[in-house]
Amino acid sequence: MSVAGAIEASVPARQWRYRLGFYLLIQVLIVLACIFVLRLSPPEPSARYQVTEAMLSENGVERPVRLPYHLPARFTSIDPQVFSLSFDRPAGAAGQTWSVLLPRFISGIEVAVNGSVILDSRMHPSANRPDRNTPEIATIGAVLLHDGPNALTIKLHAWGPLTGFLDRVFVGPDQELRPAYQSRALLFMTLPVVFSAWQAILAVLLGVMWLKRRHEPTYGVLAAAMALGLLQAFVYAPVGQTDHAGLNSMLIASAPLESACVVFFVFSFLGLKWPKYCWALFLPGLLIVAMALLGDSALVRRTYLFLGPPTVFVSLVLICAIVGRAAVTRGDGVALLLGCAVTVVLIFLVHDLLLAFDVVVEGRILVSRLSYSALLVAIGIGLIGRFATALNEIDGFAGRLVTLVRETEEKLRASLALEEERARAAALANERNRLTRDLHDGLGGQLVSIVALSERGAWEGDRIGEAARAALKDLRLVIDAMDDIDGDLMLALGAWRERTAAQLRPHGLALDWHVLMPQGMPVHPELRPWHVIQILRLLDEAVTNAVKHAGAKRIGIRIETVGDTVESQRGRITVEDDGRGFVAYDDGRRAANAPNTARGLANMHKRAARCGAQLEVTSGSGGTRIRLDLPRRFPDVELASS
Amino acid sequence: MAPQSAEARPDKTIRVLLVEDDSPTCARLRDALAGAGEFEVTTAATLKEARAALRDVRPRVLLTDLQLPDGHGMDLIRQTRLDCPDTEIMVISILGDEQSVISAIMAGATGYLLKDAFPTDIAATVRELVAGHSPISASIARFIVRRTQGAAAGAAHPALNTAKLTPREIDILWGIAKGFSYAEIAGHLGLSRQTVPGHIKSIYRKLEVNTRGEAVFEALQQGLIRL
Repeated sequence: MSVAGAIEASVPARQWRYRLGFYLLIQVLIVLACIFVLRLSPPEPSARYQVTEAMLSENGVERPVRLPYHLPARFTSIDPQVFSLSFDRPAGAAGQTWSVLLPRFISGIEVAVNGSVILDSRMHPSANRPDRNTPEIATIGAVLLHDGPNALTIKLHAWGPLTGFLDRVFVGPDQELRPAYQSRALLFMTLPVVFSAWQAILAVLLGVMWLKRRHEPTYGVLAAAMALGLLQAFVYAPVGQTDHAGLNSMLIASAPLESACVVFFVFSFLGLKWPKYCWALFLPGLLIVAMALLGDSALVRRTYLFLGPPTVFVSLVLICAIVGRAAVTRGDGVALLLGCAVTVVLIFLVHDLLLAFDVVVEGRILVSRLSYSALLVAIGIGLIGRFATALNEIDGFAGRLVTLVRETEEKLRASLALEEERARAAALANERNRLTRDLHDGLGGQLVSIVALSERGAWEGDRIGEAARAALKDLRLVIDAMDDIDGDLMLALGAWRERTAAQLRPHGLALDWHVLMPQGMPVHPELRPWHVIQILRLLDEAVTNAVKHAGAKRIGIRIETVGDTVESQRGRITVEDDGRGFVAYDDGRRAANAPNTARGLANMHKRAARCGAQLEVTSGSGGTRIRLDLPRRFPDVELASS
Repeated sequence: MAPQSAEARPDKTIRVLLVEDDSPTCARLRDALAGAGEFEVTTAATLKEARAALRDVRPRVLLTDLQLPDGHGMDLIRQTRLDCPDTEIMVISILGDEQSVISAIMAGATGYLLKDAFPTDIAATVRELVAGHSPISASIARFIVRRTQGAAAGAAHPALNTAKLTPREIDILWGIAKGFSYAEIAGHLGLSRQTVPGHIKSIYRKLEVNTRGEAVFEALQQGLIRL
């Protein structure tokens, strides 16, 4: 594992050195543990029942051999090797069931007792897989056995890629042999199925994940690797049938393809860039598949032996390196776990390679397939761990967001409520002030005069009635002005016209009403009730002056819009009468001959000024003309009335 | 509108039922009408009296206050619309505010009369009414057209349904709201001066809530009736 050169500069040197030391220490411990496990011998029955002496007949020549026997040549014989053995059954054992146990053989066996065949391992598809370490047991029919020496004949069929091998044979009471067989079956037959099931679940999970997240090929690749492994584990092809030779070979080729896939997965899982030349890892597997489709099975097996395991080995070393580097530089826990698993697989693979190339002959138990499962377990845990972390992150993020939104919402609501409350209070206070003043100006005065008149004692019925009527009129004016007219002063003037006409009719006076344009006057969105009241009161006073003080017979109201451009357009209301008139000074505020008129004029100026309107009064012997020019824009607050 | 029933009467007197519980006001209105000569006025101070008078007199014109000591004028208006469809109805109002007038229009009234109107105006208004000229004030017209524009229906306002009004009728209401005379409106809209009152009458009928159930429901909504 060359990690030293690849350390990123950003990591403090001391820290990664500690991590490297820790990582290496753990790997060394794992290597030691693996060697210890490999040195354990698999369960077997008591040595009492073992048969080690045999006669091997080869090309018609018989020679004594000792089991375990290892075929020296790497070839596929058409004629099997025949081992002749013999065992004794004690005289008292006739009631017992006896069995023959073959704990380990490569690649197939045929067992006969006293010339009768009792077992042919080639009938068991799983037993034909040399990487499975499948044991075989067969009970011997009672009629075949007799007391004293019995003959046991074993034919050993060997086909590639591994050389033939026959371990010691056990013959004895079934109950003595069975437990060892069960233990081996559990280890070498059941356990792989359990791991395969694990692999199947992972394959489905990863497949679903990839289907839902197509942009992440990581999971798809791993799912493919798992599916390949599953096929390899569960699809059995019969031996010696040429039709299936291709299929069989392809299944064999799955291991290098699988390992290349796993390398790809580890790269993308750790977020590393997949180097172009790494595609070469897929070549051996594909080459074997091509061979399987074109060539014969013997060639495939040979090719596989020289290309397959080395590819797997190179892949594992690569995984080891990148995982180790990630574990050291990033302090990644998942990488550490993966690294440990890869180390286990690597050690076991080295062991199996030594066996396959006959460097080590002892035991001939192949363990790499089993240990591959260790890698799967690690990957499964790693994935679930990563998934859980991602979920936690999302939860945390969502939680933070929810809190943030709630806080902001509360703040906003509080400030809005405060703002609204303030605005409402201000509006209410303004409205109250305005209403108070309006009522004081109009209704208050009129009510006071009603009181005064009623206290005079003398019968002033007409004047009381007049005052009360004025009060009612004013009340209507105030109520009317409160209505929302959307800035169209014409709507307020329409109602005013009705009231004023009704008021003038009994006096025999006509109100000449002229609206010069159909639309009347410009609309003022900023128009408020208090503007309306000021303008209507001003007009009221103008009419009152004309009727009461000038003795007019005709009052004309002209409504128009003046100004050429849209920007300069203003509303204008002109009130003209044919009364006596009065002499106005230059500023139009004083009149010499009519103190009441003077007060009325001053009031009118005040009201016009509050609204930002301009008032022009001209008076002469022919009558009085009052011209009110409305502002371009009504002020938001009352302007000081000078 | 069936003016022939009034014209069919040989003496040409117009029978008016005046319902008003404040006796000085009642007397004032009665005098204003009686002074004109052509009206025969029956007065009632309570809803009960008014109902009895409605049966006995079968008036040509009903003038009623809304707040009565033993009930609401709305009920009387509704009953009159059902029992005497030819009777013209007007509400007597202190301020002529939209709240009460619109409610009365929905019940079947045609306009309102201010309690402090000058005697000559009172007589003239009723005469016009009988002649088929339903009066409509600028502020009521304003209220209706603003409702056609979808102005926010405040809780205090009657639930007026203006969907049946035609664009022409709405234009006429606009004109009235802005203070134009009938002649001016007719001029602007290219109508004959004489057709404007007919349009106004039609507006009133379209705003009337047609079934008794609806009327009661509306009245309940407005808080005018309490169960």
